[in-house]
Amino acid sequence: MSERFDSNVTTTCGYCGVGCRLEAHAHGGRVVSISPALDGPANEGHTCLKGRFAHQFSRSRDRLTAPLIRDGGGFREASWEDTIDLIAGELSRIKAEHGADAIAGLASSRATNEDCYAMSRLMRAAIGTNNLDNCSRVCHSPTSFALRKAFGLSGATGSFTDIDAAGAAIIIGANPTEGHPVVGARIKQATMRGLKLVTIDPRRIELSDYGVLHLSPRPGTNAAVMLGLAHVVARDGLLDRDFVDRRTDGYDEVEALIALYTPEHTEEITSIPGADIEAAAHIYAEAQEASILWGLGVTEHKYGSEVVRLICNLALMTGKVGRPGSALLPLRGQNNVQGSSDMGALPDTYTAYRAVSDEEVARSFEQCWGVPLSRQKGFTIPQMFNAAVDGRLKAMYIFGEDVAQTDPNTAHVIAALDSLEFLVCQDIFETETTKYADVILPASAFLEKSGTFTNAERRMQLVAPAIDPPGEARTDFEIILTVSRALGHDMGWRTPADAMDEIAALTPQYAGVSHERIGRRGLQWPVAADGTDSPTLYQESFELPGGRGQFAPLPYKEPGDAADDEFPLILVTGRRLQHYNAGTMTRRTGNLELLDRDWLEIHPDDAARLWISDGRRVSVRSRVGRIETEARVTERIDPGHVFTAFHFPEVRTNLLIGSSADVNTSCPEYKVVAVDVRPVAEQPAYTPALAEPALS
Amino acid sequence: MSRNLVELVRRQHTVQAPTALQVLKAAMDARGEITDEDRRLAAEASGLPEAAVYGVSTFYDDLRAPRGRRHIRVCTGTACWAATADAHVDSVRDGLGLTLGERSEDGSVSLAETVCLGFCHSSPAIRDGDRIDAGPGAVERLLGGTTADAAEPEWISVLEEPVLTRPGDWSGLARALAELEPEQLLAEVKDANARGRGGAGFPAGQKWEFTRASPGEQKFIVANGDEGDPGSYIDKYLIERNPMLLLEGMALAGYAVGAEHGFVLVRSEYPHSKPILEAAAAQARELGWLGEDIAGSGFDFDVTVLEGGGSYVVGEETALLACVEGLRGTVSARPPFPAQKGLFGMPTVVNNTETLINVPFIARSGAPAYRDLSPGGSPGTKLICFNERFARPGVYEVRFGTSMRELCEDLAGGLIDGHEIKALQIGGPLGGILPASRLDVGFDFDALKAEGCMVGHGGIVAFDERTDIRALARHLLRFGAHESCGKCFPCRIGLTRAYEMFGAEQPVERARLEPLLETLELASLCAHGSGMPAPIRSLVAHFPDELGLI
Amino acid sequence: MQVTIDGNSVEVSSETTVLEAIRSLGGDVPTLCFDQRQAPFGACRVCLVGVEGAPGPIPACTTPCRDGMTIDTGDATARRVVKAVVELVLSELPDPPAEHTELAVVARGLGVGEPRWTGRRHEVRHDQRHPYLAFQHELCISCGRCVRACDEVQGAFALTATGRGFDANVAAGLDAGFRNSTCVSCGACADTCPTDAIIEITLLQMSDVP
Repeated sequence: MSERFDSNVTTTCGYCGVGCRLEAHAHGGRVVSISPALDGPANEGHTCLKGRFAHQFSRSRDRLTAPLIRDGGGFREASWEDTIDLIAGELSRIKAEHGADAIAGLASSRATNEDCYAMSRLMRAAIGTNNLDNCSRVCHSPTSFALRKAFGLSGATGSFTDIDAAGAAIIIGANPTEGHPVVGARIKQATMRGLKLVTIDPRRIELSDYGVLHLSPRPGTNAAVMLGLAHVVARDGLLDRDFVDRRTDGYDEVEALIALYTPEHTEEITSIPGADIEAAAHIYAEAQEASILWGLGVTEHKYGSEVVRLICNLALMTGKVGRPGSALLPLRGQNNVQGSSDMGALPDTYTAYRAVSDEEVARSFEQCWGVPLSRQKGFTIPQMFNAAVDGRLKAMYIFGEDVAQTDPNTAHVIAALDSLEFLVCQDIFETETTKYADVILPASAFLEKSGTFTNAERRMQLVAPAIDPPGEARTDFEIILTVSRALGHDMGWRTPADAMDEIAALTPQYAGVSHERIGRRGLQWPVAADGTDSPTLYQESFELPGGRGQFAPLPYKEPGDAADDEFPLILVTGRRLQHYNAGTMTRRTGNLELLDRDWLEIHPDDAARLWISDGRRVSVRSRVGRIETEARVTERIDPGHVFTAFHFPEVRTNLLIGSSADVNTSCPEYKVVAVDVRPVAEQPAYTPALAEPALS
Repeated sequence: MSRNLVELVRRQHTVQAPTALQVLKAAMDARGEITDEDRRLAAEASGLPEAAVYGVSTFYDDLRAPRGRRHIRVCTGTACWAATADAHVDSVRDGLGLTLGERSEDGSVSLAETVCLGFCHSSPAIRDGDRIDAGPGAVERLLGGTTADAAEPEWISVLEEPVLTRPGDWSGLARALAELEPEQLLAEVKDANARGRGGAGFPAGQKWEFTRASPGEQKFIVANGDEGDPGSYIDKYLIERNPMLLLEGMALAGYAVGAEHGFVLVRSEYPHSKPILEAAAAQARELGWLGEDIAGSGFDFDVTVLEGGGSYVVGEETALLACVEGLRGTVSARPPFPAQKGLFGMPTVVNNTETLINVPFIARSGAPAYRDLSPGGSPGTKLICFNERFARPGVYEVRFGTSMRELCEDLAGGLIDGHEIKALQIGGPLGGILPASRLDVGFDFDALKAEGCMVGHGGIVAFDERTDIRALARHLLRFGAHESCGKCFPCRIGLTRAYEMFGAEQPVERARLEPLLETLELASLCAHGSGMPAPIRSLVAHFPDELGLI
Repeated sequence: MQVTIDGNSVEVSSETTVLEAIRSLGGDVPTLCFDQRQAPFGACRVCLVGVEGAPGPIPACTTPCRDGMTIDTGDATARRVVKAVVELVLSELPDPPAEHTELAVVARGLGVGEPRWTGRRHEVRHDQRHPYLAFQHELCISCGRCVRACDEVQGAFALTATGRGFDANVAAGLDAGFRNSTCVSCGACADTCPTDAIIEITLLQMSDVP
């Protein structure tokens, strides 16, 4: 089969955090077909419609193929030389006038580890600021925060294969068959072989039909659910006393707290029948091995990080961590959201989450990079926007992120971008965000670059180019290195492999990592110097001083938003199978034919009360914004809730999301928004001629 | 087909949902056709995915052709063919002005073929709705609108004390529950060395032992009443004349292996079998022989009766289980055997109905007595049946070892109207063909095997001197190709090619026929493909010229 | 337990199939309905091998090893019969299979020539209603791999075998195309199909270009 093509390259998918290994078959300069790699550790010869088919975007006609410089209301093409000169000139000027901290960078979680590390070196060494963040801020930063506090390391405690070894599993706030299809398929097959699955979600997800129990909590009450489960575990003698005594700290305070969360009390808060809480606790605790998987339905809440702590509590109480089959698996969304944070594209940490204020660590980087480095924490994304609006931040360098579409409180984001003196955007297409750029740099898609991605199992896997970037577009790696050189800081690498060698040299947890060692199977960090990697963490001890897992006595607190008379329904947002996040890539493929629009799911009772019929156009209004979309009536969602996705810029779902965010990490509360939904008046027969409104 | 489908069906089964096949059959019975809406409803009701339901609806004969308000099915089985060479089929076609599988424009009447109606004793047979008429004048009556009910055949035992034709009285189960532990009953049945009566001849006791030993939450007994052999009507009469004996045999099997539930699959070509068997089961429950705590022993057992959908291969045990589950009736590779992973993935005994009716005698009278029933021959007795060509057709209980001549001439009275036996097909369409010159062979497993023939299910079809041997080969291969389940390549393609070879006008080259037969015999997944060459080989050996071989 | 394959001994477990044992030693037999991502099916009969003491050849993919089994992958009867099976498959297709297909590779490997038995062939029927996946129904040899990929790998249950006997084929949903079924467009079916009966449209277009 392979002889038909000009080239066959094994690479790693650039869509989601499963990290399927793919064989890209190119012919005549285009990728003609992609097939799943039989030996892919995460996908084992399978993949989904995005990895398999949605690659035509790489050769879409509206790919950016030349640098663009703002010219009045639009842009003009420019040479690389001129563009780089302009960037270096402006950034130097702003740094001189306002200080390095007036500049901020946003790294792409879709880019490679090497790209993100290069970005972090650019911001820290070439420019001199720690103002750097990546989009994990808006999805799994609560997971990272909580896992580090509870267990020590910021990543899944096991691997996807733990699903096959588990007797029971809980999925909370995730919809794997749509967001992580290959993992969803693995779970589905496991249920048919006997895995007892409990799903917890305001909607019945597809896997609920294959599970043994579904719990439907009121949005924002996940903490109460976890506390309720913990209560039953303690009450019914399902605690692993030996594990708690030998390997944990802090259970006593938790024991006192969970006594309050009886099934009755939990039912009051969550509306889940007490008997179901009891059943779920038993299913989980009585299995020899049981795993918990969660997604943004847990993290994108005001107390998302606390809920993750409570998930960790449950695993520690029952001793179900540190063994094959008993894993905690956060389903990280982006292909490299794990890696971009691992690589230190964060305002407060270097690689492997070591604080910028840590003297020893900072010195090791200073020694390697040859420049003094700031010990001050930098801005997070929300802080960057606030700082832009109030004038403290003057410039931003954003690559591979469409914040104007995907971040909450769109109006505020746009105001922030507008206020900047200088905005550099590096991307593969023009987006909502590039509308505000002063310079647009044409970058490379995942099929055109070399480096590594780290998937949700902490597995670093190789990315290899199947085709060249089109026109004058360059790889992100090359662009960042060029900008850095123009600012006077030569990183000295020839290839991404060189960058990885430096990362390994500076990071004990990745000591044994190299492109050569990663090979076809990848490496799950931590990786010892001799190359031994870590499929299962915490087998003997946790990565904290003393080696003990930490409990956290966190009670339930109300979410940031709540339904009231004016906004009586709660909106939950999520993903659909055929598209990926902003839809930048997938809407430029045949996937658009498969799904060309989104809709709002609404329960029949609510629909009836609001005079909404199936297919009717509706307006959805929150405290901060308003959108219009199509309603679909379904019983998958409970009365009082509505659901929609965010893949279509025409719909602008995130206009509705306000500023409520996780208390510890500022991850926006996308999942609990009080809204009012009503039918929109029919289109008038005569439409007055209006100028096309600027899309904003 | 896939173990996931079986798992999905199993989950619905535990809540007593109907199978997809049952829902589709009901739709066909109610409205004479199946629409996509019916398929969706079947999917919802049964838990089977829509695509799988579509697959089911295109597999079974009963579901494939639309029916008129008056639905006529003409039998194209081997006994009816032996009687008329399918002239009756032509007459019905011409008389109605419809081809096989066609419904009239106005929807008033439709015609289909069916194999076989179980009235082989008075061929040709025609089914008009649920009435079955047969014998002289049947075609005329049908066309004239005066379809009658054909007479049932004789049901005779040569033994002074009939074993298989003796009405079931639950005495075997009574004794077993009172005096024997399940393991003891099992040992008795093993000791009796009762061989399967469906055609494979596998020792029943061993099957039961494997099932008993296999781990599983639940175990099942499945009675294979799907005797699709054209020319055989044995199961029809044992189900309809002696249902209690069958139920008793199943209950005994359940007791011995640890199963609490049994299924009987009966053929849809026998419209009376299911109602009769269900009525018998209801009566048995009232008498306390089925249900909970039978005879105060603590043993529970009950039975569900299901109808098939028109497929011969469903008589193969793994295909049978697929049919019970409401799936396409395709054959599965073994291992795993049903004894380990059978119905819904649970350990299951699949026995032919005739095998099961042997068990009450064993339970009541013991293994030695059973072995003595056929002195010098295989243990037990056998039901056989004869086709319309014979003077005294009917179902007979006979001893193993009796010569074919004695059976045909003495018992069945030779052929009617002065006709001569040219050849016999014994045991079903996969059975070898015995020429008249070899009639002295004994009716027993090994003796018949040595002749390239088999005991099979026991149907005996005589072909008289008028028979066109080439047409016979064509008839058998047409049946074989039509009934192929389509899963394995040799049978799916090879039987059609074999039919085409004999269907054309030209002579058949031995050099091309032999490797094809060998491939079917050695490569097929089940006995359908591997058995179909046997009668052809008999014809090649005994009637080469008439076959047109070169 | 130990089994011997073509003279070489290997340790196996009771769950190992003969095919797995053969491959573990680096040997191989041709297959058409087998895919390592799915449970063995036993439909094609192309993996037949000889086993000492058995009355005839056995299918390697569905036969578990037994202690002391002696297997001959080059058994003359097995080879003869397997060639005939592949000939039969070629005889039902309207045209010889495209060179790159697994079927063509297997046929070449076995040295299969013109089929000795000819007759009816599959009717040509194409379906390109989906943006990525096309049916070429006449190329379907009913190996079941697509249906099993959809059931056992993806779990969408969008495909089914249809019909019976020679007319057996494959369909999505209620035979109204991939888009009107529970298909999630993962492409596992196209990936496993050995004859291009289900094929990715970009590859189909590649074939059309001379």
